[in-house]
Amino acid sequence: MQILKVENISKTYGTKKNSKKYTALKNISFEVNQGEFIGVMGASGSGKTTLLNILGSIDKPTTGRFIMNGKDIGTLDKNQLAKHRMENIGFIFQDYNLLETMTLRENIILPLALMGKEIAVIEEKLNKLAGDLCIMDVLEKYPYEVSGGEQQRAASCRALINNPKMILADEPTGNLDSKSGKDLLALLTFINKEYNATILMVTHDVFAASYCQKILFIRDGEIYNELYAGSDKKQFFDSIIDVMSMLGGERK
Amino acid sequence: MNLFTLAFRNIRQNNKKYAMYFFSMGFSVFTVYTFSSLMNNEYVMKAFRYDQRYQSLLTAFGVIILVFVLFFLISSNSSFIRARKKEVSTYSLFGMTNGRIGRLLFLETMIVGTATLVIGILAGIFFSKLMAMFLLNLSLTNFVGDVSFVIDPKSVIITAVLFLGIFIFMGLTGLRVICKFELVDLFKADKISEGRYKGSRVVLVLSLLLIFSGYFIACSKNATVVVLGAIPILTLVITGTYFFFWGGLPKVLNLIKKNKRTYYQGVNLISTSAFSHRMKSLASVMATIAVLSAVAVTAIATGFTLYSNAEKNSYSSVGFDLYYYVGQKDMTDKVHQAFQNHHGVIENEYTLQLYEATPDFHGETLLGQENLTPEERYFRIYSETDYNKMISYSKTNLESVRIAPGEGLYIYPYSMEDIKSTILGKSLDFRSKEIRVTDVIRSAVPNFGSFNTIVIDDSDFQSMKDNGMIKTAAESGKEYHAVTVMNYKNALKSKELYQVVNEVFKNEKQQYRTVYYIYNESMETFGLICFIGFFMSVVFILMTASLLYFKQVMAAEEERHQFRMLRKIGMDVNMERKVIRKRLLPVFFIPLVIGIVHSIFAMKTADTIVFSNLIPVENSYLTVLGFSGIMYGAYAFVYVIFYLVTKNQYTRIVIK
Repeated sequence: MQILKVENISKTYGTKKNSKKYTALKNISFEVNQGEFIGVMGASGSGKTTLLNILGSIDKPTTGRFIMNGKDIGTLDKNQLAKHRMENIGFIFQDYNLLETMTLRENIILPLALMGKEIAVIEEKLNKLAGDLCIMDVLEKYPYEVSGGEQQRAASCRALINNPKMILADEPTGNLDSKSGKDLLALLTFINKEYNATILMVTHDVFAASYCQKILFIRDGEIYNELYAGSDKKQFFDSIIDVMSMLGGERK
Repeated sequence: MNLFTLAFRNIRQNNKKYAMYFFSMGFSVFTVYTFSSLMNNEYVMKAFRYDQRYQSLLTAFGVIILVFVLFFLISSNSSFIRARKKEVSTYSLFGMTNGRIGRLLFLETMIVGTATLVIGILAGIFFSKLMAMFLLNLSLTNFVGDVSFVIDPKSVIITAVLFLGIFIFMGLTGLRVICKFELVDLFKADKISEGRYKGSRVVLVLSLLLIFSGYFIACSKNATVVVLGAIPILTLVITGTYFFFWGGLPKVLNLIKKNKRTYYQGVNLISTSAFSHRMKSLASVMATIAVLSAVAVTAIATGFTLYSNAEKNSYSSVGFDLYYYVGQKDMTDKVHQAFQNHHGVIENEYTLQLYEATPDFHGETLLGQENLTPEERYFRIYSETDYNKMISYSKTNLESVRIAPGEGLYIYPYSMEDIKSTILGKSLDFRSKEIRVTDVIRSAVPNFGSFNTIVIDDSDFQSMKDNGMIKTAAESGKEYHAVTVMNYKNALKSKELYQVVNEVFKNEKQQYRTVYYIYNESMETFGLICFIGFFMSVVFILMTASLLYFKQVMAAEEERHQFRMLRKIGMDVNMERKVIRKRLLPVFFIPLVIGIVHSIFAMKTADTIVFSNLIPVENSYLTVLGFSGIMYGAYAFVYVIFYLVTKNQYTRIVIK
């Protein structure tokens, strides 16, 4: 089932009068199907975070449109966009973005609380997810009291709790050590398989990307290449490195 | 780039942070200058300084203001330094020595300090005339002079020296902050969490217990208990308030959090957790503000109540514009002559025979009159007709009465405890007749020198007079036999007529009373109290509210990323506004509400000690609360404005 269709999206920064225009994205088009785990790779400044922001409807494309769940997101107004984000999208960020003023439990249930769900529903969902993601023991702690890995798991939990159509992850392993990073990637794969969640992950880490089923490479705001994972993981890993070196990005 | 230009650049670039700091320091300078110039103003000196009481009142007030200004400055300085820790640590990182950074900050403080000093004093000079006029007009009813516009060099010097000292002290505090902290700590300043602060049930109960036991003593009907209990009441309530904010309110928040039905609604979840997160750093400030609000609001409510009731109170103690006793000399012609010479207009006058009697109260003395000699225990006695006639001339709220034969209306002049229950329904033995007291009222008007007054039926009066039980005042050995009451135009304002009347009676050595004297004396005192209350309220409210503003705007900078994050997970604009409202409302209104509740009880004690004697109505506390309510409303109104300004600024910072 097709969940997202991106048509010719471009993004230009800088005012029209100003001659100093900077093009972050140029005519990007692709499609995402239900249950896919897609990676977006590119060097710094290639426009991958801009793309993610647009897909997350935090930012607006200059031209082009994208359709999510049968709706043209470009036509929604501010409040509709907020509702759209609340219902359809879950975010996972590099720096977790948990609220320091709340315990992990409160952080996780926040999206549901904002939607005004009943306590019983909230608690049931929370318990199931927190159990699956192994953070039951630290639910009552504040973000600064737990490790980065636990924070990122709580953030994933928050992203999942409203059953979003799509999860957008922006360098989720960027701040984690290799062990925690590996755990998180395993977790994302688990979420992808178990909950049939659609995940779009921006990364420049080749190892992280190798967990994806499909990778879009972006260079200078354009899609440069696409790669599909075969059955051989090692081969997939090598071909990602090849593309990355062609892109001029860093090697890992 | 030398330190001086760097300091200037810093101030320019931090202008938003500096704006509020600048305002608060400037306002402090303004307050001190204004007060000092007021104390040295020649008109004010003439009007008040001759009297020891007023002088000490003003001095005490000056000390309170100064202490508060110090507290305010130190507190805003420390939050200002905290807000700039990151900047300071960046300098340190780039290899600037602590000494140089200290010098830089010191230089900045001094530059800003000097600027605020100049602006504050200029504003003080600009408004000093207005303030003096305001005080004099409020306090002196017949003040018509024009206060000249003066620059008071003494005040300028005092203010400048005082504040230079304070600024140097503040600069040195900054230095201490830099030397004391490690570089790492400075960088972490934003991230160091304020931690869990769950509060404690014991402290909550204890704080409420302290406050309510203070209230309980304050509500005592016995004036002596209240006067003696003033210090314990203050101690109980103030410590209770601090405990409440330190440990009680966090506990309340914790309990709110436990109620998942309401807590798990998005907006409540965010605002409650954010507020309770800030609790630790806000607790002391909020408690201080609650106490200060209570003091300020009580001061202004007391002043305002006294001031608004001055006219009524004067009449309720004198009753008429003028009365004088009539003895051998007949003063009527002289008084008329004097009024004519000075264009005074007599509205009406009435001469009334004064009678006395000494009844027996079952062989006992009346309560509170144990110390009087038997001669002093006589009753002023009126027939119903005489009484009603006299009352019709008085400018009080006394009403004409109807008395049945054998019954009497007892009137006592001062607030005496339990006198009503002692005498109501009892009989007074006038030898030939028994008079049963069927009604008791309080009024200082009809007694004309006696402690007890009774009004009886006309026929009873006649028969007792016939058998010699009732005598005229002269027959009982007084120097007078009657009293003349009169009212004239402009009695409260005209100093000229007052002096004329004075002259006439002084020369003849006759006893008299004027409403002018009482009224003007109370206006002077109450006007001053009202002014002090007003001044203090304005100072307290502006400083406390701007302190809250300061803290919240600083917090907004830190909470900005949270709102950005919340928007990503789908919080819309309406919800954002709700969160901000719920986040800021308690910060402003919990201290305000607690301050006002404290004040309501403080007014109760003031009522027991002062007002119940001054305001001649059955339930003076309700009247007092009515007048206080106006001032509470005004105080709350200013707070609402500050809240709205803060909310706007906060919203602008977090939703950018």
